[in-house]
Amino acid sequence: MAACSSSRAVRSILLNCGKYSRTPRRPAHSLNPQLLYRHVCQSAAVWGKNLAAAGPEKFSEEYIKKQIEEFSIGKRHLANMMGEDPETFTQEDIDRSIAYLFPSGLFEKRARPVMKHPDIIFPKQSAIQWGEDGRPFNFLFYTGKQAYYSLMHEVFGKVLAIEKRQDRLRNEDTTDIKQISLTGSRWMLKEELEDLLVETMSDHDYSRFLQLMERLVALPYSSLEEEFVQRFRQQLGVQSSKQEIPALQHDEKGVAFCQANGRRKTASASITLRDCRSGNIMVNGKSYLQYFPILQDREQLMFPLHFVGMLGRFDVEAHVEGGGRSAQAGALRLAISRALLSFVSSGEMETMRQAGLLTSDPRVKERKKPGQAGARKKFTWKKR
Amino acid sequence: MPELEVTFTVTVMKSVTLQEVNLNSTLCNYYFFSVNSKFINMIMQDGNKVLSTEIVTQTLEAIKRKQVEKYHKAPAAEREAIECNPYTIFHQALENCKPVIGLANIQKGSRTYQVPIPLTEKRRRFLAMKWIITECRDNKHRRTHMYEKLSQELLSAFANEGNVIKRKHELHKMAEANRAYAHFRWW
Repeated sequence: MAACSSSRAVRSILLNCGKYSRTPRRPAHSLNPQLLYRHVCQSAAVWGKNLAAAGPEKFSEEYIKKQIEEFSIGKRHLANMMGEDPETFTQEDIDRSIAYLFPSGLFEKRARPVMKHPDIIFPKQSAIQWGEDGRPFNFLFYTGKQAYYSLMHEVFGKVLAIEKRQDRLRNEDTTDIKQISLTGSRWMLKEELEDLLVETMSDHDYSRFLQLMERLVALPYSSLEEEFVQRFRQQLGVQSSKQEIPALQHDEKGVAFCQANGRRKTASASITLRDCRSGNIMVNGKSYLQYFPILQDREQLMFPLHFVGMLGRFDVEAHVEGGGRSAQAGALRLAISRALLSFVSSGEMETMRQAGLLTSDPRVKERKKPGQAGARKKFTWKKR
Repeated sequence: MPELEVTFTVTVMKSVTLQEVNLNSTLCNYYFFSVNSKFINMIMQDGNKVLSTEIVTQTLEAIKRKQVEKYHKAPAAEREAIECNPYTIFHQALENCKPVIGLANIQKGSRTYQVPIPLTEKRRRFLAMKWIITECRDNKHRRTHMYEKLSQELLSAFANEGNVIKRKHELHKMAEANRAYAHFRWW
């Protein structure tokens, strides 16, 4: 009796050991209590199982739900441990606390202890696609890409519906023709669409999807499906809202001035733009006519001021070092444009951005590579 | 240098990403048109932009001088027909030199055929400028200055004469002659 219960306990422990070790299934009635059979951990090779073909490990919904509950309870415990308010305990606080409680010296960040919401940790999987009798739920299951094809069917159905409506309304009235405006957003990327459908797709499939959506959007009465279409579009943020405007300061005489920096290649410039009515420009203590004898460089300096129409208004005191003649001029131009932002309205700022005045030129000298004479130039090619 | 009114028509699309905005700094340079700065870059040798800008400005000046001289010499009836603005002369001369159709070497089997192909606007502009510059460098007298040679060539191109126009016509004739091979083009 004691042997029987111990063997059952051992068997239950070994059953939880993981899927790689499976004890041979024995029907309960043939269990001989006198025999203590040895549990041998066998690898899947013995069973002839191709574990890779089974795909990623599938987690059931209740399991994920349980994990989420455990996570939220654990979060509250952690907050109590750290002496903080459990209600306002954010993910950053969790990361900080875990790093504090379990300091890890491992270099690989992904190998360190982590506590995140189960939705982030467990990959999104589609639920089991077939019922008890083995029949799949979706009629497109045997295409292999059921989510993709059912989406394409849906979109095409909408296209047909709109065309039908168009035919009906063509004779009646033409006042309702509204099209979806696509400005300010972009189509979802292939990766984002894959995340949405929880299904992989090829580039060809993705381009076909985009073609169909474009066709839908191009139809006259497409505004009916605006909500549906916007689901597949990502909004683009207003680019100019990310622009930092340097602070406007006032000196003792009440003259407004602004300081800004700019860089181009190896040249760096820092300027002070003063709002007096004179248009003097001093670079490194010299007049700009002396410092930049070439017309092209002086034009670069003047361009931002001329663009906003404030040529004679400002006094520029500039300090520039590094780079060559053209790079210094470019650096100064960027600095002047940035300093002008605080004197200019947001509409003008947007036009400046469009004109390329506020973008720092990313071009730098390309490094020389080993085995080549220069950055791109190769040594003489000898056939033999 | 004449003051030019260049109005910036910039469509305000607030959500345009930075990749879509042209980063070329000289494109927005208000004194030079983009075509003009391209021409300067093409004349430039060893990175000496100062020299090439000087050549181009001297060319425009020479064109203006010649045209004004002609203007004053002409009787009142013909005066309106004489174009004095060097920029319009430059652009018109360039337009006259642009080939409409080009030739490409397409290999079919063992033979290489000269197949007539359509040219993009960029390519046409580039070819016109290249022809003008090579014509001025090679075929003119050694002692004349580059700006002198350029102004002569541009003025004759403006009037649809000269070697560059001849070269363009030859290219067109070759393309017409090789019309039979046009179907070799697959794009």
